[in-house]
This record gives sequence, C-alpha cells and structure tokens, in this order.
Amino acid sequence: MSNNTNSADDRQGTLDDESRVRVLSPGMLVAKRFFRNRLAMIGLFIIVAMFIFSFIGGVVSPYGEAQVFRTVKETMTDYAGASYNEDYKFTMADGQKLSEMAQSKFVLAVHDEAKNFEAKDQTYTLEKLGNDFYRIYGAGTVADVTYMRKLYTYADTDASFTDDVKAAFEKANNAGQTEFEVNGNHYQITVSGRTITVTSDRELAIASKYVFNVYTQGTELSYDFKCQAEQALNAAQSSFQADGNKYTIDIDAANDRAVISDAGGKQYALMSHFAVSSSTNGVFLSVGYIEAAEEAITAKEKTFTYKDTDGKEITYTLEQKNAQYVIRNYQKTQLNDNYSSPSLKHLCGTDGNGMDIMTRLMFGGRVSLMIGFVVIFIELFIGVILGGIAGFFGGWVDNIIMRIVDIFYCIPAMPLYIILGSIMDKMKVDPKIRIYFLCIVLGVLGWASIARMVRGQILSLREQEFMVAAEATGISTYRRIFMHLIPNVIPQLIVVATMGLGDVILTEATLSFLGLGVKYPYASWGNIINAVNDSYIMSTYWFVWIPAGMLILLTVLGFNFIGDGLRDAFDPKMKR
Amino acid sequence: MRKYILKRLGISLIILFFVALIIYSIMRCMPSSYVESLARQMSQKPGAKSYQEWLDQLNKAYGLDVGIVPGYIHWLGQAVRGNFGDSWYWNVPVLTKFKQVIWYSFALALCASILEYAIAIPLGIISARKQYSHTDYAVTVIALIGISLPSFFFATILKYIFSVKLGWFDLYGIVGRNHETYGPFLQFLDICKHMILPILTLTIVSMGSMMRYTRTNMLEVLNSDYIRTARAKGLSEHRVIYHHAFRNTLIPIITIIGGSLPGLFGGALITETLFQIPGIGYTGYQCMTQGDIPFSMFYLVFIAVLSLLGNLLADVLYAVVDPRVRIN
Repeated sequence: MSNNTNSADDRQGTLDDESRVRVLSPGMLVAKRFFRNRLAMIGLFIIVAMFIFSFIGGVVSPYGEAQVFRTVKETMTDYAGASYNEDYKFTMADGQKLSEMAQSKFVLAVHDEAKNFEAKDQTYTLEKLGNDFYRIYGAGTVADVTYMRKLYTYADTDASFTDDVKAAFEKANNAGQTEFEVNGNHYQITVSGRTITVTSDRELAIASKYVFNVYTQGTELSYDFKCQAEQALNAAQSSFQADGNKYTIDIDAANDRAVISDAGGKQYALMSHFAVSSSTNGVFLSVGYIEAAEEAITAKEKTFTYKDTDGKEITYTLEQKNAQYVIRNYQKTQLNDNYSSPSLKHLCGTDGNGMDIMTRLMFGGRVSLMIGFVVIFIELFIGVILGGIAGFFGGWVDNIIMRIVDIFYCIPAMPLYIILGSIMDKMKVDPKIRIYFLCIVLGVLGWASIARMVRGQILSLREQEFMVAAEATGISTYRRIFMHLIPNVIPQLIVVATMGLGDVILTEATLSFLGLGVKYPYASWGNIINAVNDSYIMSTYWFVWIPAGMLILLTVLGFNFIGDGLRDAFDPKMKR
Repeated sequence: MRKYILKRLGISLIILFFVALIIYSIMRCMPSSYVESLARQMSQKPGAKSYQEWLDQLNKAYGLDVGIVPGYIHWLGQAVRGNFGDSWYWNVPVLTKFKQVIWYSFALALCASILEYAIAIPLGIISARKQYSHTDYAVTVIALIGISLPSFFFATILKYIFSVKLGWFDLYGIVGRNHETYGPFLQFLDICKHMILPILTLTIVSMGSMMRYTRTNMLEVLNSDYIRTARAKGLSEHRVIYHHAFRNTLIPIITIIGGSLPGLFGGALITETLFQIPGIGYTGYQCMTQGDIPFSMFYLVFIAVLSLLGNLLADVLYAVVDPRVRIN
C-alpha cells in the first residue's frame, strides 16, 4: 500500500518543499503505521462501538438495569367446583360445637336408623324431623369456668346460665358433685385441672342434605332461619317465621328445591341439592350463576356462558371429575414477562427475571469494561513499580522481588478465583462490594507477568549508551527510572495492557458465568450467559445467551486486534 | 548443568512452600466450612450430641482446631510424606481419587494438544511465509478469534449445534445412558465419543496462541542473515523454508511443547466442568466450591508443581536443543 502512494507522489513529480521533505516524528510514524493496519482499525472500531453501546446506550435505553417487566397472560384456571350434594350438611346452634367424630358417627347412626350415638364418651340423641332432616341433641356447653384461688371466673356463658344455676353449680362443685339439677334441668360438671365445663343436654345442630345459597352478597343465614326453613319445606308450608321475620317459601317439588323470599317479596335464599364453591377465596357466586351452572350440568353441556357484573359474557367450561364438576374459564394473571422473544419493545427479548436483555447487555458492558480497565490499571501500577525497581537496582532487591513474582506467577489463578468466589458466596458479600473485591483480586494476582516484562526490558535498556549518558549527567535515580527508562518500556506496556484487557474481560466473564463473579442484580456479560447452565434454556431461548457471548468475543477480539496492530506499529523490524 | 538444575529445584521448593501457604490460608478463610455443615447435619440426627460438641470433635479430627500456621505445618509434614489425607467431599483418600480421575484429564489434554500442534504449527508457518497475504490475514484472524473465544461460550455453541440441534452427542458426562450394557470395546468408543466436544473446545480455544507464536518465530528466522545467505546461494525456496528456516523455528517451538508437557496432567478446569468430564479439573472444581480442604490443597499444589516443572523443563530444553545457549 505504501509503495502505491510513493509511486503516485513520484509520478506527480512536483518538487515543492512540502512533498520533498516530509519528516514524521517517531510518534507520528507509529500512529501512521497503526492507522494503516486494517485489522487494528477494525479492532478500534469494535471497541469504540462497544463503548458507545455500553456507556451511551445505557443512558439512552428507556429501561433500567434491574427493571422487571410484567405481563398479563390469559390462562385457563379453575374458577369453581360444583357437585350434587349427597352428604349431610351440619348447621350448629349458636355457641355449640359438633366434633368431626360426632358428625361421622351421626351418619352411621342415620344409616342404622338408631336413636342415639356416642362419640368421645358423649352420648348424642337424634330426632328425625323430616326426609333427610335431623336435629341432634347432646351435652352442650353451658359455661366454661376457671377455678382459681377459690374464685370462679365465668366465660362463654349461655343465656340459660342464670344466677340460680350459678349458685347451684358453685354449691354442687364445692361439695364435689359431678351433677346437679336446677328448675328441672339436668347439668353435668367436668373438671380438668383448673378448667371446669358445665354442660347440659340441649339442641346442638341440625343436619340436612340441602344447600343454602343466598341472593345478595354478604347475607348470613342464622341457625334459626335454616331450622325453620327446613321445617317449612318438610311440612310443605308456604311461609315461616324466623328471627322475628316472616319469610315465604316457594317449593319446586319436581326439582327438589325451594326459593325463600323475605317479607318484601324479594328473593332471599335458595335451597337445593346443588352446591357450587368458588376456587378462589372471596369470590361471591350469585344464585343466578349457580342456576346457570346447574342447568348446563343437567343438560350435559360442556360449556355455558354467564354475564359477569359488568354485563360481559364469559364462557366457562365444565369438566367432570367423578361426582365433581370443575368449572374453568380464562382468567388474566399477572406474571413476570420472562423469556419473551425479541420484539420491538425488547430488541433481544427478556431474561428469566423478566428484564430487558438489551438493557442488561448495555449495563453488563459497563461492568465488564470497567472491571477490565480497573484491573489493568492495578496490574500496571504494581507491575511497573516492582518490575522497575527490580530491574534498575538488581542484586538482592531484584532477587527478592523476582522470587515474589515467581510465587505470584506460580499460584494457579483460576482455581484461586473460584475459591475466593465461593468464599464470597458463603459470606454473602454485597454484590456491589463484590465487584470491587473482584477487581482487587484479579489485579493483585495478575501483575506478575507485567513486572517480569518490565524488569526484562529495563535490564537490557540499562546497559545502553543513553543510560550511561544519563548517569554521567548526574540526574537523580528517580528521574533516571521514571523519565528515561520507563518511557522506553511504554510501547511494550501498551501492547501488553491492551492484550491483557481482553484476558481480564475473559476471566471476569468466565467467573461470572460460573456464578462466582459479578452477581445479580448487577449485570455482566458473563452472568447473562450463566442462564445456559439450565440446558432447557440453552436449547429453547437462544436469544438469551448468543448476543452476550458475541459481545464478549467481539470485545476481546477488538482489544487483541488493537494490541496486535500496536505491536506491529511499535516494532517496525517485523515489517519487511 | 546439574548445578543449575539443582539450584532451580531448590528455588522451586521455596516458591512452592509459600504458594501452598497462601493457598492454605485462603482455604481456611472459608467461613461456613464443610466441617460446620457436617456438624450441623450430625447434630440433627436423633439422640446426637449437640452441634458444638460435634463441631469440636470434627475440627479435632480434621486438624482444624489449631491456627493457620500450625495447621499448615501439620499439613506440610504429612504432604511431604506423601499423605494428603482423605477428601471430605468424596470420602476417599485424596490420592485414590486422584488416580481415578487423572487419566481422563490426561487423555483429554493429550488429544487436544496433538490436534492443536498439528493445526497451529503448519498454519503459523504458512502465514509467516506469505506475510500480509490474504492467507496471513485469515490465519491471523482465526488465531485471534481462538484467543478471544470464551471457552464456555464456544462449548455452549458446540453443545447447541451438535447436541441439541443435531443430537449427535450427549450434553454432559463421560459415558452414555447404555454404557453398562456395552462390551469393553464399545465402552471405550462410548467414552471417546463423549470426549469429542471437549477436545474440540480445548483445541480451538488454545491453538490461537500457538499459531501466533509459530508465525512470530518463523518471521524472525526468515528475516535473519543465514536465510538471506541461503537464498543468495541460490537454494530453492522449498529448501530454504523447510530445511533451513523450519528447523530453526523448531527450537522455540520444541521448548514450548516441552514446557507444556507437565501441564497435560493439570486438567482443563473450565472445559471439564462444562462437559462434566470427571477429570482432575472438574473434581477439583467441585471440591473447591464445597470447601474440601485436603483435595483442593492437593489440586492447587499439584498444578503449581506442574507449572514450575514446565518452566524448568522449558529452560533446560532450550539449552539442549540450541547449543548456542549457555546456562549458568
């Protein structure tokens, strides 16, 4: 190439001063040689592009480094479960309990058509009031009493626990009796430690196979209401009284159901054998919805539609599982938008945490490049000072420094980084401090080769004439080292540092890839690729790891191209 | 010569002493060590001693109840006698585990090295002969890409292409699913098949620097006076290159190859881990992340010894191959 330009100049044949005497300074010569090297220019272009991408791109990017994107996805989810109720439902009287054990014993007793059943040393009596409708009597709690320091403290007292009963109880208990009678009622006393329970035979619960559904959200049905409603249904009455209110009941005998309306004629509750319960808590299913579901199930349909509160038609699917029906519909759920494919919104898609990969790459580039420069700076700082001192002074100083260099040179670096990384893992070091530690560790373990190179160079330069001349002029040792020797080492230093930058970025990426370097929430090119440790992600989501890998490759390649070009430029001997 | 080697060996021992000390100190810094988690596990068994009792007992058993310096001296005393203790992670003597895994690493490194030299040296020579030609640029770019390629990225690409897309190889491991059902020869082939991708990764990643090294040395030789003399004598270009230049280029290359021989036993930490090849590198990686002090100490010191041996071998070989070099 240079030949061409020369011959072009010759052909012009002009003899003006400018073209005849063109002397370039050594620095300009190097620059000229460097800029003529095509590979070096490509490298320079790559590195400039990387800097723009990471430092300006990070500012321009509309997203943050750790901004998580959410998305709404429509998924088929369970909405409700429906079934025809064939079991007894128990409604407890106010303040009374019926244990699970007693409930199952009750079912057995009904089956055997027995009048009594026992559970946990208690006897219960059942009274048949109608078809599949029973009332259960048993020892119900009248009062819980705590006896301490000869004082009775009453809790959970029943309305029937009047002062008469109280006096009789205290008398009976003081006398050590376990039973007493007041006003013709029979009471038992059970003592366990300091707690005394006073019980009496009373109405505990009703059991029936009907399911009550209410028309308006928030309506609570009382024990008395249910009890009266059941009785009215069994007696085929058209109205009943409960809790002091009058209700009308409209019985549909064919479908075995009844609609109960309040005094104002407003629909109040529905009794049927069809039970629907919502799969999510706090969702109220209206009677209308339940009827629609029942209709669909009776008609053996697979889907049905029902208007929601906004009047929008929603399609539900029905699926039978044994005696149960599962009602499902499409519901919107909010999720992290993870592993979404590249699109205009996310040029490189999103990663496993729902973060924009393009933005992560930009911020990762900042971290990777900064670590590279900081580490090289530390390496140069230690390496030049120690190498310079060793090379210049020689003798025992040289010997000691070079043995230290040998030790650092001999330490297996990669294994040591891994050990230090897992130590930091176990100490749960803050991710930010971790980055600083990483820089220091990489720098402190990497200076040995630079020190060796500087020492070698200085050893050979020291013997040259210009150093003898410098010594003869009597300038200080400090100036001789740093003004005359080091500048002569700088070309090699620049080459080594440029190539070293690539190495450091590679090492950092490898460590981050192994999960021992830069950690979440900070991004680095290595820890973005880390996702491929899951082979499913590797094979399915190529856009997660290919861009980051290419960026590492390009950056390191760029630094190597520049380093190579600089070496050629500084060392013209190699040029033909 | 003998005096030189003895002196170098002496210095190496001193270096080794300090390297091992540094590594031992760092290993002992692990806050939640293997022993602590073991003690926690033992103390949770029914009817077990308390955590503190177990911890004290285990620390005593593993020699961790003393400070770093006495602990190191104890370790060194044992190591000098060839007793590296039992690996905590594998529950077998360190040397037994070492003998199990080393040959995988050696085979891997040997194949990769042979391939590397077979590709890199000819390419380097061609590139130097035709300096600044398209071939030279291509070789330079390939070499620099090889140097710049992160091994984990290249291995992942290989896996993506050959394991996921083409389905030729398994993603991980040294043996296939049906390994036990094969005869001895097929078993051997099975292992070879699983070695292909790791060998490829190692070769590509490491051949770049060898290419550059060969090219630089060949260029230096081609610029020397005796080559000009040979050309001036009117020798054929073929003879100049392959008889005069190549032989002289071989001097530094042989030195480098000789120096890398001990390294063949060192294992490829990253590549073995990526492919889960049970060599010394992958084993060492597991032990280091689990805080297994005996095996990690052995592994790191072993690598340090190998690199010291490599340097010594390179220097001695340099003098042996090139009679102009005098060692003193």
